[in-house]
Amino acid sequence: MSITDIWSIMPLLLLAVGALSVLLLGAVMPGRFGTGIGVVTLLGASLWCILTPSQAGVPTLGVSLTPFARFFTVLFSLTAAVVLLLSRGYNARRAIRGEEYPATVLFAVFGMAVLSAAANFLPLFLGLEGLTFAFYFLVAIDRERPESGEAGLKYLLMGAVAAAFTAFGIALIYAGTGSLDVPSVMGALSQSGKVNPLLLAGLGFLLAGIAFKISLVPAHLWTPDVYQGAPAPVVAFLSTASKGAAVAFLLLLLPAAGVVEPLRIPLWGLSLLSMVVGNLAALLQRNLKRMLAYSAIAQMGYVTLALLSGKGGGYGAAAFYLVAYTAMNLAAFGAVASLTEEVEPGEVEDYRGLGYTRPFQGGVLALAMFALAGIPPTAGFVGKFFIFAAALRGGEIALAVIGILTAVVSVYYYLRVVVNLYMRADTGNVTASGTLPEMVALICAAAVILFLGIYPGPLLELIGMFAR
Amino acid sequence: MVNGYPLLTILVFLPLAGALFLIPVWKRPEWLRRLALGAGVVELALAGWLTVRWQAFQQAPGAPAGFLLWEDLPWIEGFGIRYTVGMDGISLLMVILTAFITVIALAVSWRGIRERVALHYLLILVMESGIMGVFLSLDLILFYLFWEVMLVPMFLLIGIWGHGRRIYSAVKFFLYTMFGSLLMLLAIIGVYLVHGSETGSYTFALPALVNTRIAPDLAGWLFAAFLLAFAIKVPLFPLHTWLPDAHTDAPTAGSVLLAGLLLKTGAYGIIRFGYPLFPQAAASFAPLLTVLAVVGIIYGSWVAYAQTDMKRLVAYSSVGHMGFVALGIAAWTPVSLSGSVLQMVNHGVTTGALFALVGMLDERAETREIAAFGGLWGKIPLFSAFFLLFSMASAGLPGLNNFAGEFIILAGSFRVSPLAVVLAFIGIILPLVYTVRLVQQLLFVTERQPLALADISLREGGVLAVLALAAIYLGVHPAPVLDLLKVPVGLLTGTP
Repeated sequence: MSITDIWSIMPLLLLAVGALSVLLLGAVMPGRFGTGIGVVTLLGASLWCILTPSQAGVPTLGVSLTPFARFFTVLFSLTAAVVLLLSRGYNARRAIRGEEYPATVLFAVFGMAVLSAAANFLPLFLGLEGLTFAFYFLVAIDRERPESGEAGLKYLLMGAVAAAFTAFGIALIYAGTGSLDVPSVMGALSQSGKVNPLLLAGLGFLLAGIAFKISLVPAHLWTPDVYQGAPAPVVAFLSTASKGAAVAFLLLLLPAAGVVEPLRIPLWGLSLLSMVVGNLAALLQRNLKRMLAYSAIAQMGYVTLALLSGKGGGYGAAAFYLVAYTAMNLAAFGAVASLTEEVEPGEVEDYRGLGYTRPFQGGVLALAMFALAGIPPTAGFVGKFFIFAAALRGGEIALAVIGILTAVVSVYYYLRVVVNLYMRADTGNVTASGTLPEMVALICAAAVILFLGIYPGPLLELIGMFAR
Repeated sequence: MVNGYPLLTILVFLPLAGALFLIPVWKRPEWLRRLALGAGVVELALAGWLTVRWQAFQQAPGAPAGFLLWEDLPWIEGFGIRYTVGMDGISLLMVILTAFITVIALAVSWRGIRERVALHYLLILVMESGIMGVFLSLDLILFYLFWEVMLVPMFLLIGIWGHGRRIYSAVKFFLYTMFGSLLMLLAIIGVYLVHGSETGSYTFALPALVNTRIAPDLAGWLFAAFLLAFAIKVPLFPLHTWLPDAHTDAPTAGSVLLAGLLLKTGAYGIIRFGYPLFPQAAASFAPLLTVLAVVGIIYGSWVAYAQTDMKRLVAYSSVGHMGFVALGIAAWTPVSLSGSVLQMVNHGVTTGALFALVGMLDERAETREIAAFGGLWGKIPLFSAFFLLFSMASAGLPGLNNFAGEFIILAGSFRVSPLAVVLAFIGIILPLVYTVRLVQQLLFVTERQPLALADISLREGGVLAVLALAAIYLGVHPAPVLDLLKVPVGLLTGTP
């Protein structure tokens, strides 16, 4: 392993070393620099990805920082940086102490970066399970509150089952093709003649495992419970970056296959069920985090629709929507986190009048709701537009029409939050006023939502470098 | 561009800039009111200046025929989406109406809004930007963007400052409109894909898409989606059920803007986008549109007669009046279409004025029940005089604005659908029935409850006087308006 090799996987090393040093420093000087070092590490990894020229090379240890990997590493790093900014005040108020929190966040990003840089099923699996492992800790990190532990246990059980599916799928793929190299395995799908049944079965198991991570219906049951119980900044991270990593997994596999036909029927069903069940179930929720959980399920249904429509430009649309969705969910859960003190405002009704008493957080939450509902000029609208354009071009007309109709349904529950924020009298229950890092994090998320809604061109070009 | 100034862009974004200027003074209601009104007046002055100079402008280079002002910039290049705004005679009329009605809306909420004043004025100005954008956009995605942007402020206006079941009405309004718009979005993408696969150039520019040849079946579906979105906004019977609720529960400024401007965006959308994009499909839908228009005219007036709440009465009368607009569009002759556009302006003025009057009464007596009033003529004569004038205008009294518009529509539609015109003629008489009853109950019968009412103030009188002048001018001398419409309507109907 030469210096060039080390340089070529620098961001991965940076993330791992950063995580370890946060942990070690915690032993020496507890409670001082964890968040700071974490944010600096994440920004450093992002800067490396943006600034160094990408060169085609042989993968080192099965990973290579392609434009695709750089794009997602930057996305996940910046997401994690925003999450760390959100967590500092929240953790102080909720008495969640210790350096293990920022360190685990960095470990999670390390897993995501490995996954998006993988050219082989082995690092793909290790990345996916590594990041999930980090989330087992993060979800249950609030030791003072039983609901956090309960959520952690549910996530662990479901996640273990999903990991078993994924691992078994990869084993079947290896048995079928004798290779773990992604391009050659997926290339076997598009070859003429009969497709290897072991390969197909393997992909099916793999898809089932991924569906758990993205929480597509019918593998979504853990989502509302975990979102409700886990600390709000962790949910912000879980609902954006971990789903993003799982979608990146599919974005690595599907384009390499060339054709999506063998996987079309399962993906079609997952997309349809997620859009319909997610949006209808969200209508019934009274708890904001549960509602956002079902909303996330529905949103991932739209992303799956984009993944189905690869030949209409759906892969690019999916990547764009992931960025938009990340900003929207960070804004929504970030606002919830910064309004949480000893007691979390759980019910949608608890947000009554906060648009006036907490104009900043209320405004960001309302913006996030309008964006998730797909109202222009927000990133949510542009993202949905790209997805539906890709779906129509790819010939998925029935699914596009169903998607649009369920989007109308979704407007109702998103509006309910806005109604409570601005059209009902304040209850005086919420006393938290938010700290400076939280404000910075929320401003970043809101700025991305608006910028992508008004001027999506540059991001679209960037995505065009690795996806059509 | 005129002398290098992007006048249309200024027209669209000036209210938004004005809204941003409100934020620093958000705690001082007096400043807010003046600043907002100032922004509205500057916008009106700009629109007025354009109207005065209109004849002097030349056809803009690169613009489709009839568009004297035209600005075109790349926006989202990967998808062929451009920032294209253009103005022809129809847009000009709608722009001047928008600027005018917004000033009225800003002025009528001077006293009525005491809470969250900053947000109220900010939303009105943001909405003005959105409506201007709708009337000027010539790129389908840009149009869709503005079309949705104007929804949010109206939703908040109704929900925050409204009366009665304000939240129910606001959500109903939003959901109805979103339902139509999202299906229209799919249709927009559909046209884009058909045009792209046919010519190889993927674009959302209206002038290019107009020449797309679409298979008749598909065109029918796509036109239906457009028509649904626009018909909800107009509103056409039976898609009107959101309107009485939204109008009744909205604050005065909201009702004025809703009736005066938002309803017009629906009719404008059919004229600018629906018919030109799908001429054959539109022709085959014309009988349906005619029937719905006539049913709307008669039904609206009939139901208006049964109302006891003044605002609901005016709201249902809107359904009837907009039916005339739809009738003229369905006939699609030069005369009927000119009449429809003229009637859009007329309805904005008269109904805006009526909502302002009802709002003034509501501010004083805190009720809008017709049965609570009586004998106003003797108590508040100035108010009563204006009320009589606008009621008569709404009922179609010759010499006032609505008569001119309705007459031209009927004259222009007669050759195309004589039976519909005969039935719609009943729709001219019916408003007279409920209006005379309203005027009699309100102004002339003996007082039912002793209400201490002050006559209109100088500010209110000024607002009403300006509206009255507009109503009389449009009624007596609509020729300048029709002159403006001659070229664009000729181009649209293919009879230049």
